[in-house]
Amino acid sequence: MTQTDVQPPFRADHAPHPDYNAMPDAEFRAVVRHFIETHYPDIPRHLLRRLRWQEVCPWYAVLARTGWLAPTWPQALGGMGLNAGKHLILIEEYERFGCARMHDIGTVMLGPLLIQFGTQAQQDHYLTRILSGEDIWAQGYSEPGAGSDLAALRTEALRDGDHWVLNGQKTWITLGADANMIFVLARTDKSVRKQAGISFLLVPMEAPGVTVREIENLEGHAEFCEVFFDNVRIPIGNIVGEVNGGWAMAKALLGHERVFIGAPRLSASALARLEEIARREGVWSDPVFRDRFTQLEMDLADLSDLFETYVERLRTGAPIGADVGLLKICQSELYQRISEEMLQVAGSLGGAQLTDATARLDTAGTWLAARPTTIFGGSTEVMRNVVARASLDLPK
Amino acid sequence: MQSEPDDWVENVRMLEASLGAVVPEDGSLLRVREQRGNGAGFDPTTWRIIAEMGWLALRTKEDDGGLGLGLREATALCAGLGRGLVPEPVISAILALRLVSAAGAGAPEAALTGETIMLAAWQGGASDCDPTAGVTVSDGRLNGRKIAVEGGLGADIFVVTLAEGIAVVPKDAPGLTVTGQQMHDGTFLAQLDFADVLAEVLPCAGMTTFVREAMLMHAAYLMALSERAFEITLDYLRMRKQFDVPIGQFQALQHRATEIKLQLELARAAIGAAGRMLDRSEDPHLAQMAILRARSRAGGLARLTAREAIQMHGAIGYTDEADIGLFARKAMVSAGLYGVDTDLRRQFSAMRDEREKAQ
Repeated sequence: MTQTDVQPPFRADHAPHPDYNAMPDAEFRAVVRHFIETHYPDIPRHLLRRLRWQEVCPWYAVLARTGWLAPTWPQALGGMGLNAGKHLILIEEYERFGCARMHDIGTVMLGPLLIQFGTQAQQDHYLTRILSGEDIWAQGYSEPGAGSDLAALRTEALRDGDHWVLNGQKTWITLGADANMIFVLARTDKSVRKQAGISFLLVPMEAPGVTVREIENLEGHAEFCEVFFDNVRIPIGNIVGEVNGGWAMAKALLGHERVFIGAPRLSASALARLEEIARREGVWSDPVFRDRFTQLEMDLADLSDLFETYVERLRTGAPIGADVGLLKICQSELYQRISEEMLQVAGSLGGAQLTDATARLDTAGTWLAARPTTIFGGSTEVMRNVVARASLDLPK
Repeated sequence: MQSEPDDWVENVRMLEASLGAVVPEDGSLLRVREQRGNGAGFDPTTWRIIAEMGWLALRTKEDDGGLGLGLREATALCAGLGRGLVPEPVISAILALRLVSAAGAGAPEAALTGETIMLAAWQGGASDCDPTAGVTVSDGRLNGRKIAVEGGLGADIFVVTLAEGIAVVPKDAPGLTVTGQQMHDGTFLAQLDFADVLAEVLPCAGMTTFVREAMLMHAAYLMALSERAFEITLDYLRMRKQFDVPIGQFQALQHRATEIKLQLELARAAIGAAGRMLDRSEDPHLAQMAILRARSRAGGLARLTAREAIQMHGAIGYTDEADIGLFARKAMVSAGLYGVDTDLRRQFSAMRDEREKAQ
């Protein structure tokens, strides 16, 4: 890791937060805009790829010092206490400015889980270290043999005195090489139904027996890793919730992320770039192209309306419903159709491999970046299975 | 943004509760089936009931004896009619009254009570939605053609849209020829040919908007008939067994069913958003664009649902005896009314460019 002039631990150094949820939306939006314009460090914006830790660290530092790192955590625990509506505005403004996404598994995934299910000691220890940037977390869910069928996971933790002994392999770990901690779903009982024998373990990446290997993706970036566990010994207390209670807990964790993962932002930003490319290539006024573009534009607007209906449910506390998966299906498929159109409009040079400096209208990069959106976070096929059974009540 | 009274929610509840007067609550389609091809393709007695319920005057100003309700109420009503495949040309009548009222001609008492059937003749060509097209006026005489007047064979009075405004023309006006085309759903679309028909032309501010409002109501009709057809199809998927299992267990069918569900929810969301924007008078330009895409979505949904419903029912879906066919025929016919896909996209694109220029 290259040295930068900012390194953890970062300490919060700010006035108490106001009650953001009480602000009118427009006022809060202005606050967010001002915050970004004032604080965004001199690092790249509007990139399709994820920045590595040494690149994004200055932004993490700013968010940590100002208390903006964990938007949804309660203020008493170092968060901003935002409700879903305000959180959405925050995300929208970050996206509009093109803010780099920092390493947020700790604040988005683990933090809320610990707040809901962790012991006081776990909260005191881990939440503090997430906020200070001392712990950068990775998520160890998928395995080579357990992707869509996650509950088939085989990584195993056996009790040995005061320790768990962990053996197995996790994969598709986003930015795993930058993390010093990983949470792992591991099998702790093989004698029961597969979902019932899974526990949620907290594992230091420096522990003896942990090996990390980077995986280069189709875009040419090493965002993914695989992690091997070879007789890794973990203190018995490094478990969240009950032994064998990990599966239900991991599922309960999916709150408004189930809605936000279907937000139309990716498609909206891609459509704006498609327009720019079409103008550059001189096809904007071609009626054949415009008809196709108009269809995409209408699809995006309809998706935005559908997204709003779910956000409204979050705002009013109404049940989200089993059909929420439709949002992600729709968003990711639309994003892919737009990226397809970008590639076509850019013609013979659509496949050009661009650098960060020229990447804003990267057609091939967008096409590639759109691929995993129908795979991660529940593949389109699994999401359709779920909607068919849970929402349409079709037989299993 | 103005603060919004929640009256519409209660209004919608009352309207939905009153639908039983026309749409059998047990889902029976016997009346609809028997009405096909009969008379003008709809039932005058049912028309009187509809008028008595006040539905025709839903969008007419209270000053003119109407209910003055919003589009969210109107779309809820039309959705209820769509679920029941109601063949009476309610949307056309709502539009006709709205046009006449906006032109300052009041609302004819007989049209409100249903004694007289007054329908809108707005469409000029089969593939465009320009209400000023088709009929021209000079020296107080109308010449040209209007098409696709739903239920038009049963009308007493036509409200004709023109570049200059509207004209109210009785069916027996000298020079007017009314011919019917029977459609596959058992209704008739009327074609009106005008040869020097004498008529008074009344300016009508907002005419294009009123036609677009009718498009939105029709989108709700399409959405709801699709939803009902989808429900019937899902029931069939759960019940029908082949290879010893309910066919709804097959992933191929499940995934196609989720696509219908997705298109249905997109249509519902777009219709809801358009209605809300119009009722709150938020950004009228964007609201009109929302109507165009809601109507486009609903048409695509209806056709998708119709063909999937037939396919998923298998051979029984291809018989006239099965009710699902009533939905398929209605979808096929209705998806071409109050909006045509290519034209909807053309209008949407043009409005987008206007918006860009203005900003």
